[in-house]
Amino acid sequence: MKEFPTSALPALLVGLPMLLATMSLFFRVKGRALLGVLGSFLVGSLAFFAFIEVAKYGTIIHILGGWEPPLGILLRIDPLAAVFIGLTAIIGIFISLYSWWYFRARIASIGRFPLFWPLWFFLWAGLNGLFLSNDLFNLYVTIEVITICAVALAVLSGEAKALKAGLRYLLAAIIGSMAYLFGVALIYGSTGTLDLNLLGEVLKPGNTKTFALIVITLGLLIKKAAFPFHFWLPPAHSAALAPVSALLSALVVKGAFYMMLRLWTEVFEVSLTFAAGQLIGITGAAAVLWGSWQALLQTNFKLLVAHSSVAQMGYLLMMFPLLIMAPGQDADSAEWLAPAWTAGIFQVMAHAFAKASLFLSAGIVVMALGHDRIESLRDLVAWMPMTAMAIGIAGVSLIGLPPSGGFLAKWMLLKGVFLSGQWWWAPAILAGSLLTAGYVFMLLRLAFAPARVKDPFRPVPKILQVCALLLALGSFLIVIPAENLIQFLEGSKSFGSGIESIMKGGGYGNE
Amino acid sequence: MDILIDSLLAILTIYLAFRCMLAPKLSKAVFVFFAFGLMLALAWIRLGAVDVAIAEAAIASGFMGVLMLDSLRDFSLIFSKNQERLEETASKIPIKKDSYHWTTALALGLGLILFLLISIQAIWEVPQGGGLTAIAEANLPMSGVEHPVTAVLLNYRAYDTWLEIGVILMGLLAIFAAGGLKQYRKPGLAPAQDPLLRKTILIFTPVLFLFGAFLLYFGKMGPGGAFQAAVLWGAIGILLHLGGWTVFTVIPRRMRQILVTIGLGFFMILGFTQMATGGAFFEYPPAYAGFLILVVETLAAISIAAALTAIFAFLTK
Repeated sequence: MKEFPTSALPALLVGLPMLLATMSLFFRVKGRALLGVLGSFLVGSLAFFAFIEVAKYGTIIHILGGWEPPLGILLRIDPLAAVFIGLTAIIGIFISLYSWWYFRARIASIGRFPLFWPLWFFLWAGLNGLFLSNDLFNLYVTIEVITICAVALAVLSGEAKALKAGLRYLLAAIIGSMAYLFGVALIYGSTGTLDLNLLGEVLKPGNTKTFALIVITLGLLIKKAAFPFHFWLPPAHSAALAPVSALLSALVVKGAFYMMLRLWTEVFEVSLTFAAGQLIGITGAAAVLWGSWQALLQTNFKLLVAHSSVAQMGYLLMMFPLLIMAPGQDADSAEWLAPAWTAGIFQVMAHAFAKASLFLSAGIVVMALGHDRIESLRDLVAWMPMTAMAIGIAGVSLIGLPPSGGFLAKWMLLKGVFLSGQWWWAPAILAGSLLTAGYVFMLLRLAFAPARVKDPFRPVPKILQVCALLLALGSFLIVIPAENLIQFLEGSKSFGSGIESIMKGGGYGNE
Repeated sequence: MDILIDSLLAILTIYLAFRCMLAPKLSKAVFVFFAFGLMLALAWIRLGAVDVAIAEAAIASGFMGVLMLDSLRDFSLIFSKNQERLEETASKIPIKKDSYHWTTALALGLGLILFLLISIQAIWEVPQGGGLTAIAEANLPMSGVEHPVTAVLLNYRAYDTWLEIGVILMGLLAIFAAGGLKQYRKPGLAPAQDPLLRKTILIFTPVLFLFGAFLLYFGKMGPGGAFQAAVLWGAIGILLHLGGWTVFTVIPRRMRQILVTIGLGFFMILGFTQMATGGAFFEYPPAYAGFLILVVETLAAISIAAALTAIFAFLTK
């Protein structure tokens, strides 16, 4: 990795939010919120600057402590990491702005949750650290940071149901972390290195590696709430405060997905088989169908949105079967790889924007009504046209109607599915969209329906609605620079690449 | 002889783990957990990982045990209060039977055994030795310390340790966040007036302080270091609290904030300074490495000890 330019940027991207979080502990509530909003712009501009630098010079590294791997740790920001860091920054700024007014508006009834700001910035540092990390054990430390902050934020409201859901979230996340750590120990024991690039070179197929891959993948699947392990997500995400739900759904679960993508495409190529990809694809398809169906049955707005997260995260997993070549296929001539990668990245971005917007809108509805029963959304269009519009736009992106980011993601996924000949994923993708349309239109129908007898909506600060609407619009705007973004991402080592395990690694029986 | 000791240790550890899980009473489970932690610490010593053994004995067994004992007392208070009400309602509502099937238990058990077998097989295939021990030791002269574990923690992988010190602070914040709701009002902790207890605590305080300081300084050359020292210093705070000197609540707010954050903060500012002077994040100038590491460790130990005391003070408030 010596050939890449070094810069202080990667260290600052972790250090600055960490510094802001620590500093905020010394302020009282008002100062914390002010520091939080200003700080979010600082970290955001740093992320923007990093993005520009990466576009100019390609991958940038920072060798921590001056010790090169394998002894030391290396931070690297390549185009893939830059996109995730940029996404976190944009969503983070909007959520910070929203939180500033949200906690002010709620002061009379509940309180101002002074712990939100330090925890959110610690979480931000953890997320940036995860995206920058190039080391198996360091990745573990960053997911630990993320888990603790995410759980603490989830229970912040102090309500009994939030604490109950938070405890379950904590246990699931810890089991996931332990499984991951076990796999890391096995890999370190058998290769003597933790650096992802070195591991990609020295890892040879074998039982230990296959087992390590299985436990690591299992751990990450639990953390990203993949199908059989999704049980913790809906209660935890729906019981949290609105800005927290948005953070958890839009950003935190993406961390585990990012790790899985990195590890599968850059490290574990030699241990993967076609069947492994199919298995992950099946859990993804099951999550899409189950999550969407459950969302359709909900009678509470926030629970509906949370179940929809389970489904939308399922789409991300359906990218993996396309990345792994079937026996006899060749990654160099596989023209479906670019669509599959595009689908994955755009699904991450479109879902982050749309889901953040929906949870923020849910917060507005709760603030106006005092509860979040879907029935009470009646006449929303007349009372709060902006929020109704935000829900509609974000919902359209979730369904995948053109010209939204969600459309681009799902269209590319379908394209990849048909080009690769793995047509059997198509029904799940289409059925998922149909079910999504079902619950989104259910919300919109109520929003347009006239109210018969109804409590009036309490006034909600306009600026909150603007934040939610802008995020919803963001899920459409990301389509405009799509072509440039894909070009930018092609500078990443793994982007657009496939996995040819058996043939390249020599295989289990060939040697 | 060795194999005898090791197998005895292994059997005892597993036996105690089972006893802990199957204990009919919570109090018994907590005490067996103490014994289990000590066995685990001994096992770490037998494996040659003395650093881990000290941490296991001090944090996992010691500090966790104290917290468990404390919650045990709360439980007993809550239960003795609610006992009558509970019994009253229990007689009215028919007890719901657990939907516990032996088939699921069997499937789970078989799955666990299979997982264990595959794990053992996978661990068996891991080659002996290797790792980064050789190059970690080769770079020791440059690192400013003489113990490879300390060099890894405070120099080669200082970034990880910095994040971990942050994790402890975040854990403290998480406990504050979860404590927003008090399900049960606990009766206030009457300060212990037992003169014997107070005298004993006063005798222990300097001993613990000295031993902690020794572990901290000795970390440069052998097993020990910030985390181990911090638990001993944290124990001072907890003991003083138990004796009725509520040290942590007496200290002014500002001071408390500084105590809790100084470890993370100093480490971070040091990193930024190193970057400002042209180095990398956490790149020590070799001449000052030993001294800087000792300062970082001392401040980290103070912060962790303060965090542990704060957790105890907050939970027993």
